[in-house]
Amino acid sequence: MPGDHRRIRGPEESQPPQLYAADEGEAPAARDPTRLRPVYARAGLLSQAKGSAYLEAGGTKVLCAVSGPRQVEGGERGGGPAGAGGEAPAALRGRLLCDFRRAPFAGRRRRAPPGGGEERELALALQEALEPAVRLGRYPRAQLEVSALLLEDGGSALAAALTAAALALADAGVEMYDLVVGCGLSRAPEPAPTWLLDPTRLEEERAAAGLTVALMPVLNQVAGLLGSGEGGPTESWAEAVRLGLEGCQRLYPVLQQCLVRAARRRGAAASP
Amino acid sequence: MASVSLSEAEKVYIVHGVQEDLRVDGRGCEDYRCVEVETDVVSNTSGSARVKLGHTDILVGVKAEMGTPKLEKPNEGYLEFFVDCSANATPEFEGRGGDDLGTEIANTLYRIFNNKSSIDLKSLCISPREHCWVLYVDVLLLECGGNLFDAISVAVKAALFNTRIPRVRVLEDEEGSKDIELSDDPYDCIRLSVENVPCIVTLCKIGYRHVVDATLQEEACSLASLLVSVTSKGVVTCMRKVGKGSLDPESIFEMMETGKRVGKVLHTSLQSVLHKEESLGPKRQKVGFLG
Repeated sequence: MPGDHRRIRGPEESQPPQLYAADEGEAPAARDPTRLRPVYARAGLLSQAKGSAYLEAGGTKVLCAVSGPRQVEGGERGGGPAGAGGEAPAALRGRLLCDFRRAPFAGRRRRAPPGGGEERELALALQEALEPAVRLGRYPRAQLEVSALLLEDGGSALAAALTAAALALADAGVEMYDLVVGCGLSRAPEPAPTWLLDPTRLEEERAAAGLTVALMPVLNQVAGLLGSGEGGPTESWAEAVRLGLEGCQRLYPVLQQCLVRAARRRGAAASP
Repeated sequence: MASVSLSEAEKVYIVHGVQEDLRVDGRGCEDYRCVEVETDVVSNTSGSARVKLGHTDILVGVKAEMGTPKLEKPNEGYLEFFVDCSANATPEFEGRGGDDLGTEIANTLYRIFNNKSSIDLKSLCISPREHCWVLYVDVLLLECGGNLFDAISVAVKAALFNTRIPRVRVLEDEEGSKDIELSDDPYDCIRLSVENVPCIVTLCKIGYRHVVDATLQEEACSLASLLVSVTSKGVVTCMRKVGKGSLDPESIFEMMETGKRVGKVLHTSLQSVLHKEESLGPKRQKVGFLG
């Protein structure tokens, strides 16, 4: 506006004051590298979704909802050949659509949705980890929609989202081979580069490398793996994967109890 | 990825062959197809490279432009990746079809460069907090013949090796205003050190064994693959499981070891080829797109 002298206009761009503050210097407290934070899991809480789950681990809060199976629009994709295991032909198999969203207030800086590349990458990671577990051959020409919403990021967000998504799918009654349990790890920077299980946000920020593993506990198959950073030689990554798988196995009984409780709740609500 | 229809018998043939360490084109499980690398193919860029791996054809152009450093890292420049899957590669990429694959590849590239040692970002800084070099790495997928990630990472490494960033100086006046001066000599430029730039090795699980550098047909037979990004020293910078199936934990450890072994060999041969091409000097005969 030409020559507007009456209003005081603030700066066009603003940054949060933490960026200019001196570095806190508080190193994350030393802790047992194999400790898992206590987890609160609840399934079957949203009335509008077919299946839903809420997972809280430390400061990380994830809410996941599943809807479907819904008929796929867009006609057939051509009679494809039968899949490798003699399952339903590729064109008839169902589809799993995953969506990962971060609430704008989830991290330290406000990030308005759409979050761009990172959310797409995590949604793809969710899909790749959940597909081995879901019997998509039983839902021909249908699609299942899984949407995960991260309410607060307190470390290992993707792992929590994976676990919540698997719980929500089980709560929705989708046929699955096994649950998928996710676990996050991070490697502390030099000196003392040890792999820490289930890192907090502070540990993740200062980490030299991060890894998320997704395991199907009963079948003992790795459903998903995503890691990056200066992890060092392959032996170090192998040790991290082993630690992560062990963490997933330890988390499994909690999820079983959660699903049993949800089923009882649903039974009690339906009977009278 | 481009899809190819295979009959049940063809799949069985491929799977059984792989069990015996014999693939359809006669390679072993850990052999790459013939790779052709050529740098400096596009004249308008700061660096470019073209890689042909079997039927896969990738063209990478790097442009260095001046920008402002990111707030969290005021002393460093940065890289921006963009991957374009053109409709020439396969008819599935027509219109917006190739966007998903493009974003997936770009995100993987961001991930493998997301650590301090891959590339020296401090050398890209001109004046802290104000000016830095931003390298826009644009990848063009010309033809899709399987094993995209490996070919793209080799092309990106070759293009970064070929990148020549002009040398600039920041001059300060008496009033304190800064002026950027470009040196007069067009050949006076900084080169990047690509010693620690990683390369991706994709290992596809077929039956009970895994193969390196799968063709489209082999990719159709495999349910899950592991993508490992290895530097020339054997340090792993990224790991990712790709595909609809699941992997056994033991096979993951085996695949990582294979990936490291194969990655080291890939790096040594790539380095020797790049240095040999460089030593031929500016008068070398360029093959370009006709060879």
